[in-house]
Amino acid sequence: MMAEKKSTKKAPSKKEDTKKAAPMKLEVKKQAAPAAKPKAAPAAAAGSTTKPGEARIGVFICHCGTNIAGSMDIEAVQEASKKIPNVAFVDNYKYMCSMPGQTVIHKAVKDQKLTGVVVAACTPRLHEPTFRTATKDAGLNPFRFEMANIRDQNSWVHMHDRVGSTDKAIDAIKIAVAKAALLEDLHPKSVPVEPTAMVVGAGVGGMQAALDLAAAGIKTYLIEKDMSIGGRMSQLDKTFPTLDCSQCILTPKMVDVGRSPNIELMTWSEVHEVEGYIGNFDVTIRKKARGVMTPAEAEAKGISGGGCNGCGDCENVCPVIKPNEFEVGMKPRKAIYVNHPQVVPLIYTIDFDSCVKCGLCVTACGPEKRAIDLEMKDEFVKVKVGTVILATGYDIFPIENKTEWGYKQYENVITSLEFERLICASGPTGGHLVRPSDGKTPMRVGFVLCAGSRDNTGNGKPYCSRFCCMYSLKHAHQIIEKIPGCVPYLFYMDIRSFGKMYEEFYYRIQDEGAKFIRGRVANILEDPKTKNLTIYTDDTLLNRPIAMDVDLVVLAAAIQPAADTNRTRKLFGVSCSMDGWLLEAHPKLNPCGTTTAGVFLAGVCQGPKDIPDTVASAEGAASAASIPIHMGEVELEPYFAMCIEEKCAGCGMCVNLCPYSALALIEKDGRTVMQVTEAKCKGCGTCGGFCPGGAIKMNHFTTPQIVAQIDAFLLGGEQ
Amino acid sequence: MARTKGYPEALDKKLRDQRYYREDSNPEFLKKLKTISRTIPHMCYQCGTCTGSCPSAPRSTYRIRNFMRRAVLGLENEALTDPDLWLCTTCYSCTDRCPRDIAPTDVIMAMRNLAAQRDIVPVNFLKTVQAIYSSGHGVPNNDVNRAAREKLGLTRDPPTTHMYPEYVKGIQKILDHYGLKARADRIIKEREG
Repeated sequence: MMAEKKSTKKAPSKKEDTKKAAPMKLEVKKQAAPAAKPKAAPAAAAGSTTKPGEARIGVFICHCGTNIAGSMDIEAVQEASKKIPNVAFVDNYKYMCSMPGQTVIHKAVKDQKLTGVVVAACTPRLHEPTFRTATKDAGLNPFRFEMANIRDQNSWVHMHDRVGSTDKAIDAIKIAVAKAALLEDLHPKSVPVEPTAMVVGAGVGGMQAALDLAAAGIKTYLIEKDMSIGGRMSQLDKTFPTLDCSQCILTPKMVDVGRSPNIELMTWSEVHEVEGYIGNFDVTIRKKARGVMTPAEAEAKGISGGGCNGCGDCENVCPVIKPNEFEVGMKPRKAIYVNHPQVVPLIYTIDFDSCVKCGLCVTACGPEKRAIDLEMKDEFVKVKVGTVILATGYDIFPIENKTEWGYKQYENVITSLEFERLICASGPTGGHLVRPSDGKTPMRVGFVLCAGSRDNTGNGKPYCSRFCCMYSLKHAHQIIEKIPGCVPYLFYMDIRSFGKMYEEFYYRIQDEGAKFIRGRVANILEDPKTKNLTIYTDDTLLNRPIAMDVDLVVLAAAIQPAADTNRTRKLFGVSCSMDGWLLEAHPKLNPCGTTTAGVFLAGVCQGPKDIPDTVASAEGAASAASIPIHMGEVELEPYFAMCIEEKCAGCGMCVNLCPYSALALIEKDGRTVMQVTEAKCKGCGTCGGFCPGGAIKMNHFTTPQIVAQIDAFLLGGEQ
Repeated sequence: MARTKGYPEALDKKLRDQRYYREDSNPEFLKKLKTISRTIPHMCYQCGTCTGSCPSAPRSTYRIRNFMRRAVLGLENEALTDPDLWLCTTCYSCTDRCPRDIAPTDVIMAMRNLAAQRDIVPVNFLKTVQAIYSSGHGVPNNDVNRAAREKLGLTRDPPTTHMYPEYVKGIQKILDHYGLKARADRIIKEREG
């Protein structure tokens, strides 16, 4: 790879010095190399370059308390650094990132007339911004700063090898100094930000994010693939630990979303295509054919006073019966339907996969409203937004895959989402918990916690789904409350009641009479005659295997990212972690951001969360997403590729390689040359590494800079 | 034992348990188990799925979860001298269901290997060795079986060493190679005289 770099990249201009640098002995040449580097000069139109031999680099070594100083000889590193070419000043400090530490840098830059700063400390992920600011404050261009990571990649790894880590630190500093001597002034570009935002997914998280953005005066597109907003929370009966009715606290928010003038709600819609970058995303939305027009859509078609008013006449006449997904299949629905009476928007939707187009609904709807259009087609709508929040939520893990618990084999084994619907007053049984097999009221109910969670077998999820303990406690409370004499048995490994008032809730439910058995359920068997179930487990606290007969089993099934998450995340260029949840920019310090600028995460799509955490995360994401919009413009890292037009042959091979569609061929002065759209370029270097003519310069990672770093390592740095 | 001076022996024994981890723990035991069993006994989180799955547990005092715990803590003596170690039927139900993807059955087998190295083996297991040595079968055929086989239209003896006794020699060669028969004979003699 090095060889390739040397031959392809160097060949163009500076071949003389770098080529000569190859022989081992020529350390002097290496010295010459930086000096001879004026090649940077032509391209340096944008910024100033240090003149040959004039580089004066300051090296600042951080102890990081004992994180670094505990595993290496700082004195030795300092002495060795003094001998590195171009180094004009070396100092060390206990905490370089502290204010006094930064003052050391500040003073040295001024007093020593430094042209570049090297800080040997932790990782640029942590403190590059800190030291860039310090460099800038001292009067240098902030990009005249280079960091040598002697902590994360050195002292932490080689904690027990003092000599080795000292040597490695010296090497790291040599490499950083070599680059610092060649750094050029760079000036970040700003691009304007479209003052609109988009939220994908309208569960409680997406709704909260959209409401916050709207309240901050930002026009927000809220995209929901289902017919109504509300998401999972609208399927729940009550919420822990306060036992609020879920619908009661959710519907006001749903109504607010429907009414907010700043929210453009698009239900029964999906993100189809995404182009652009922070501040300027062009998003194509597929509005799935709904078959029913809203009053506004009807108006637009010239049907004044028409459109769906949610009367439900169509539903009454529809002859097609299908299982209702909202009720987890436990209730029928028609081909034209709404999920539940409180849907927002209250517009009926036709399931065209089952509609027989008999036209009865059209007749029932009548000539006044004329809301139904059986020939409706998908529409594509393009919108431009500045920032995006993903709030795509979760699905239930297909718990029938764990065959030992008998879901879908035994009628009386249900999931907790089914339990929510059965115990809910608006659910299929009007809130009466019954056994699916015979409609009888169960008097002994077993709750299987960690069903598919905390499971490393590959058939299951390795993580804790985080809210099952709490909702199972709530379920226990609900059956004690609703069915006198009914006993809930909770089979658990650990009760994770970690939130505010959660442990108190656990206390309360135990006080109410719920029985807790510490043992993961090994298997469940059914009596084929009575359909009663026997739960087998180990009461680990009694150290006794037990077989317990119950009437109903509720599996607290694991959760997994919603079905379309992978497709959606790829559209926005967001990564996911090993378990499929979307990857945040930093798990602690930037949990709502992603590695794609301008795209943020809210709620469970980033990892399991209960409702309070989801809402908190949504508000965090909304705040983060509003910042670029309120600033009006964003600064882009000036690491983009640059075409050296006199060398460009216009072959266009780079254009197809670019993963960000940032490159294009243009006509200039009668020649075809490549042009970079700087705002789209992420500085990945794919084009620069490939260009056969060496006509692409990667700012801040130029060929001379990289070669000097390699030389500094391979040839040493002593004079 | 000073603190239990004057108390009955049973209480002494119970109180001794409090110091199990400090005094009896042998980290090498866990390492050896890992090597022999080729599984990850140190990852057990004591959920009880194994004991709940175990067909032996409801019929005996065998608690596989206890053995996993002893593995984690390195309680070598306690594990190897517990006669329950030999009550596993090796049905592998626990291995099928373990959420941590451990193979507890293989850990038990590893413990049995280590116990056997210390001559801790129940005599009935050793007699099985003798039976295999002499007939090629742990449970040799008998007349009841033979009658049943005939009734089902099968040969009186199965097509194993029973039908081809000349191959018993091969089995003996294998057992002799590992010194298993000699070992069994010696231990049985020591115990039964």
